[in-house]
Amino acid sequence: MPIDPLILSLFAPLFGAVAAFLFPRAAAVIGLLAVVSICAAVPALAREVLAAGAVSVALGGWAPPLGISLRADGLSVAMLSMTAAVGLLVSCGALDALRDARQRQYFWPLWLLLLTGMNGVYLSTDIFNLYVMIEVIALAAVGLTVLSGTREAVRAGLEYMYASILGALLFLMGVGFVYLQIGRLDFAGLIAAEPSGAMSAGLALMLVGLLLKSALFPLHFWLPDAHANATAPASALLSGLVVKAALYIFLRLITQMPMPDEVLITLIGALGAGAVIWGGVQALRAERLKLLVAWSTVVQIGLIFIAFARAGQGGLSESWKAAALLVLAHGVAKAGMFLAAGRIKDEVGHDIIRDLDRSPMRPTLAQFSFALAAISLIGLPPSLGFIGKWSLMEGAMAAGYWHWVAVTMIGTLMSVAYFSRVLAGFLRFDRVRAPVVEHQGWALADMAPLVLAVSAVSLGLLAAPILSFLELGYPFGATP
Amino acid sequence: MTPDTIYGMTGIAVFAIGLAGALCAQDRLRRMLALKLCSVGAGFLLVVAAWRRPPDVPDPVPHALVITGIVVMVSATAVALALIRRLQTLEAEDAD
Amino acid sequence: MTDPLILFDLLLAGSIVALAVAVLSVRDLFTAIVVFIVFGLLSALAWARLAAPDVALAEAAIGTGVTGALLLKTLHHLRHFSDGQTQDAARDLTAVQPVPMGVTVANAAFCGLVALGLAVAFLGAPQAGPGFDALVSDAMPHSGVAHPVTAVLLNFRAYDTLMEVVVLLAAVIAVWQIERGLTEAPAPALGMVWAGFARLTLPAIVVIGTYLLWKGAEAPGGAFQGGAVLAAVGLLLLLSRLYVPQPSHRGLARWAFVLGTGVFAGVALLVTGGGRVAFQYPPEHAKTLILLIEGLVTISIAVTLAALFHGREPVALNAPESRHDT
Repeated sequence: MPIDPLILSLFAPLFGAVAAFLFPRAAAVIGLLAVVSICAAVPALAREVLAAGAVSVALGGWAPPLGISLRADGLSVAMLSMTAAVGLLVSCGALDALRDARQRQYFWPLWLLLLTGMNGVYLSTDIFNLYVMIEVIALAAVGLTVLSGTREAVRAGLEYMYASILGALLFLMGVGFVYLQIGRLDFAGLIAAEPSGAMSAGLALMLVGLLLKSALFPLHFWLPDAHANATAPASALLSGLVVKAALYIFLRLITQMPMPDEVLITLIGALGAGAVIWGGVQALRAERLKLLVAWSTVVQIGLIFIAFARAGQGGLSESWKAAALLVLAHGVAKAGMFLAAGRIKDEVGHDIIRDLDRSPMRPTLAQFSFALAAISLIGLPPSLGFIGKWSLMEGAMAAGYWHWVAVTMIGTLMSVAYFSRVLAGFLRFDRVRAPVVEHQGWALADMAPLVLAVSAVSLGLLAAPILSFLELGYPFGATP
Repeated sequence: MTPDTIYGMTGIAVFAIGLAGALCAQDRLRRMLALKLCSVGAGFLLVVAAWRRPPDVPDPVPHALVITGIVVMVSATAVALALIRRLQTLEAEDAD
Repeated sequence: MTDPLILFDLLLAGSIVALAVAVLSVRDLFTAIVVFIVFGLLSALAWARLAAPDVALAEAAIGTGVTGALLLKTLHHLRHFSDGQTQDAARDLTAVQPVPMGVTVANAAFCGLVALGLAVAFLGAPQAGPGFDALVSDAMPHSGVAHPVTAVLLNFRAYDTLMEVVVLLAAVIAVWQIERGLTEAPAPALGMVWAGFARLTLPAIVVIGTYLLWKGAEAPGGAFQGGAVLAAVGLLLLLSRLYVPQPSHRGLARWAFVLGTGVFAGVALLVTGGGRVAFQYPPEHAKTLILLIEGLVTISIAVTLAALFHGREPVALNAPESRHDT
């Protein structure tokens, strides 16, 4: 009985989580097995999507709107692949980074439940199902945030929990309004809906809930502390993957719903611009490396929302692709960067940026990975981040939105400035009195961030096939 | 005036009251209570939307959704309260 | 024509809104929680009035009962740990700083505007608009159960329900993880009378819970309500100290937590094949499978809710704990 890869990508992490919770001693092995089996399922699914355009399963044999169906198209498979690949590498990194037996014991079931929720989001076509999925993600993510057990982490985790619950409840209230108006909850129903007061209220509530969950300025208040105080693998998962679930739902909803108002779009773009500027300033001021990396996530989220916004009324399809590319690029690069920052902190013993150049210990591989990830986040060629930013600006210039080009350029310059603060420290040797030790690192622990960072840079060379893959199954509403 | 209008307005009012509390309340426990109010407000909206004038029976799907929402909310509440207890203990240790 | 029931509705709606305001405005937290419990019960009453008995049962049992117990336990913990502090420190601990008046007013105005917008949208929406009514009644004969809400929960939208059980599992794992090594506030002891009461009522509650579960197939009730009632048994056992969780029970507890998720997901997968997809129960076995899932999910829910109330993972007291590790 061959199992549908669609089903496997959902049930493998679920059964993995159950098994990892039941057998804590074998948790790491079970967890790796589950992630590897997803990595095997996703290419099979990609082949089906390449052949058929889009694959869907009506669960229980009940077709929507009564039942729930799962659907995979180019965009979902791209997100699934990114999640599986980043997940596998972060899992490898976690083998070494989590030294405390208790942390290890709880990391695996929580991470596999998180993975269940993420994959569920990418395959879902039902807005209430999305609500349940974001709650699965939220609880697992909060569990991971407070894994270190320090007071700062618990405090940040509680703020994160409040923001998550409120975001999910806004979303649920929006689901209520959508049901009130059209009496169904599937995406097909949303597309067919006529504009009306209740629909606007419902979509507005859902979108605001998602903005809170994806931490768009000024609703970003919970993110920097939560991401900076978690243990390194948890930070990599939270910043690289978890935020993407809300962004993905946002992207899906905004392409499914009736064309939003120009004023609304400009507002979202303005918030994105605010995130780029404010996040950049905070990253310049941050004293700790992990906090700087967390603020850079705020900046990148702002940039992705500018890509949403600069669509305006024309050239929609191109702009969604720019946003999707930026989401993928940030997922890979940020996971690599957080793992590298964790390695640097482990080796040097602290992550205070001012003192990094005074340390005689040089974890060279981790520093190299950090620099590569920074190249992708700044958006230098040939990285994936560059292609994303380029297609964003190209579209904006073609449509005459010069203000969005200006904001993107300012954001890029600021990111050069704040990453230079760190990279300069890596290169200065004159402030160290003791002989400088180059730490070569243990292969497996440095492998994960290095592979992630190298992929973030080199995936840019594969941008053309990725872009054409994203269009499979018409996720962006283009006519077949 | 019909029951669905009355209770629909109730639900929206309760949701807004909860929202105000969630945004403004300083005490951690109180903020959790405010969020729980929001969830009851959302429940009201779905139950009202499912209501049909008797003798018609209501739509069962939103009822199932609200039950799911209630269970999800109690899970989230339990985690938030555990965090509150933990944080209180850590802060009390530091204060000593 | 004034329906006397409309008067009742207006009165009930007014009380619910007033209680919601009171939950946030009364000074004492204990009072706030008690007011919240009354609020929850009245909301459940309103939902029963709107012909949603299942939802009313779930809200009363889980949304109000279990949540109220969790809140009271937390308050007990907070009060215990801030007792030793001076007044100032205690204030710091509960993090109560006066909110500037302007912020409160702006916030209230903002939320008032949101409510106004939502109310306009609500009034503009069709009353008793489109829904799943016809689809559900067409599909009912093939669902294997007679009660529509149970059919939706365990057949038409079984995937949602599976994920909801997963949320419970995630919660209990997260709570165990958060509270590891936490010292416990001495349990609020039940008096002699209450302990006796607990002993007497336990069997009755078990019967009620099982009955609710059994009735779920054709009448209001079902896994979640039954699970919550059985969880009340657990709460009473814990409070009356008839049962004290031991480290050696951890393995069993883990199995009980995952029982519902595991069996639900396992059945969903095992029925595939022969042209059927996941969750597609063969019609002749649908009732049996649904009852099996429901029964085991009930056990999981009951144990999980009780464990969420108890909080800490039971560990040996002298076990070495390394909490601060970054």
